[in-house]
Amino acid sequence: MNDAHKIVEQVYAAKEDVRAADDLIRAYLPFIKAETAKFLKRPPIEGQDDELSIAMMAFHEAIGGYSRTRGSFLKYAAMLIRSRLVDYSRREQRHSRVLSLDAPIGEEDATLGETLADDREPHEETALRDATRAEIEELTRQMQEFGVSLSDVADNCPKQQRTLDACRRALEYAKGNPELLEDLLKTKRLPIGQLATGSGVERKTLERHRKYMVALLLIYTNGYEIIRGHLKQVMKGVAVR
Amino acid sequence: MSYLVMECHPGYAVLLDEEGRFLKAANLRYETGQTVYDPVLMKETPERQRHTVRWISSGVAAIAACFLLFFGIGYYQNYLQPYSSIYLTINPEVQMELNRQGTVVGLTGTNEDGKTLLEGYDGKGKDKVTVADELIDRAIEMGFLSEGGRVSFSIDSPDEVLFQEYGTELRTKVTEYLDGRITITIEITNHQDGQGQESPENSSSSTPSQPSSSQPESTLPSSSEPSRPAVTPPTSSNATDYDDTDYGPNNDGVTDYTPPVSSSPAYTDTDYGPGNDGDTGYTPPSTSKPPADTDYGPGSDGVTDYTDGDTDYDPDHNDDDNDGDSGYDDDDSDDDSDDDNDPDDDD
Repeated sequence: MNDAHKIVEQVYAAKEDVRAADDLIRAYLPFIKAETAKFLKRPPIEGQDDELSIAMMAFHEAIGGYSRTRGSFLKYAAMLIRSRLVDYSRREQRHSRVLSLDAPIGEEDATLGETLADDREPHEETALRDATRAEIEELTRQMQEFGVSLSDVADNCPKQQRTLDACRRALEYAKGNPELLEDLLKTKRLPIGQLATGSGVERKTLERHRKYMVALLLIYTNGYEIIRGHLKQVMKGVAVR
Repeated sequence: MSYLVMECHPGYAVLLDEEGRFLKAANLRYETGQTVYDPVLMKETPERQRHTVRWISSGVAAIAACFLLFFGIGYYQNYLQPYSSIYLTINPEVQMELNRQGTVVGLTGTNEDGKTLLEGYDGKGKDKVTVADELIDRAIEMGFLSEGGRVSFSIDSPDEVLFQEYGTELRTKVTEYLDGRITITIEITNHQDGQGQESPENSSSSTPSQPSSSQPESTLPSSSEPSRPAVTPPTSSNATDYDDTDYGPNNDGVTDYTPPVSSSPAYTDTDYGPGNDGDTGYTPPSTSKPPADTDYGPGSDGVTDYTDGDTDYDPDHNDDDNDGDSGYDDDDSDDDSDDDNDPDDDD
């Protein structure tokens, strides 16, 4: 009884704090593994079975979706893990005839992936990845000054296409008025009023997606060329529209 | 669609898609800065809200179903379910089933002639009076009913009030309808106990204190006037009433002039003792005793009809019987027997 109460409190704390959620997932990894094993009918191997990752994501989802009215947290999490694994296995059935690159071939230790010719330059790719990571780390640090984390942004991201388009329109306006971006960096405050009047987007929409707008506008300040390059094509599409 | 891995957590990874969306996905051994192509995205389920919507919609549906059921039953009870019946007897016998509104929901011929009468006739959905009028018209057309005939409505209703209401309505409306065309007698009986209904004017004319002679004499003018058909002796049997006399050996003890207030007319409705209603009707011929409404002996009702020396002793009531008549006992003994039979014969 006391345990049940404790875990509910932990879950409610994890809803607010990303780090607490990570800790909770780590603490309950044996439970997640056990649930995955029930589904797979064998113990999952960490770092190899996608199912375990899916189960961990489902556990994270359970933290977000749990409320006291839903009964026991662990039962709820177990149910969610099972259904996400079923979803995943159905999805994977489409690729059932695809061979895994990690599958060992013959007697040797080598895997299928290692035998295939790779036309990509591994060094170049690693360098690009490092550069990208550096950019992302810088962005994360800068966002922290606004009190925003990437997980927050993911939770705050517009779900509807219409809302997403509205946010993009506001971004377009900010790109056309670089002083707005400078203001943002200087004051650490999102100029919602100016964005709303300038772009014609509802003030309410921008307020609701403040964190997302902060991340988006920061990406379009100095630096972040790689991330911008990733988004580039889409934003062109908006400009045409 | 390619995704840029922005952040990695043990439970999930934050990805940035090409359209600028930040998404959570299963962390399939990702590293920050990696570009991935086929992530397992976390489902965005606003489950709470969806549940609320479902709950509300199911609640609304349930309430709607209850309303439908409620009104459906109400409609059925009011409009479709037979609630009362009227047995119309001319010679053809027809049963009309009525709903609570008094509208005909079913018509059955209960004898051969009744079936013939109903052939090609649809009275469903019409008011009982309309159907009665139309059936009488048809009966006249088919020759079942002619001048001086008799129509009997036996009403089978669950409560007395409804019986009274239907009886009065049928009597007045049908009389109005046939007025000036044909003269027939209309008879209303209660199907359940065979009790006749008396029209309001009749019951008022047969007030208990009234001398017996006034009643039969009033039938003479009324026999040619269907607006006062209530003087017709309503009886328990729908067949001819000629045997149902209150006189002589055939006397069945049912007095036909019983006001509705006395439910069991049999022997309480005598002219003797406290039950004396002033309506001697039948007693004199059956007994050789002096008329009931005398002031002699045990039959005395305390109203001396003649001692005050006023021969017109009953000016409140019908004048006809008092004209030139000293107004006491002789009327009863002589006139009553004749007059009482008269309405039966005439009608």
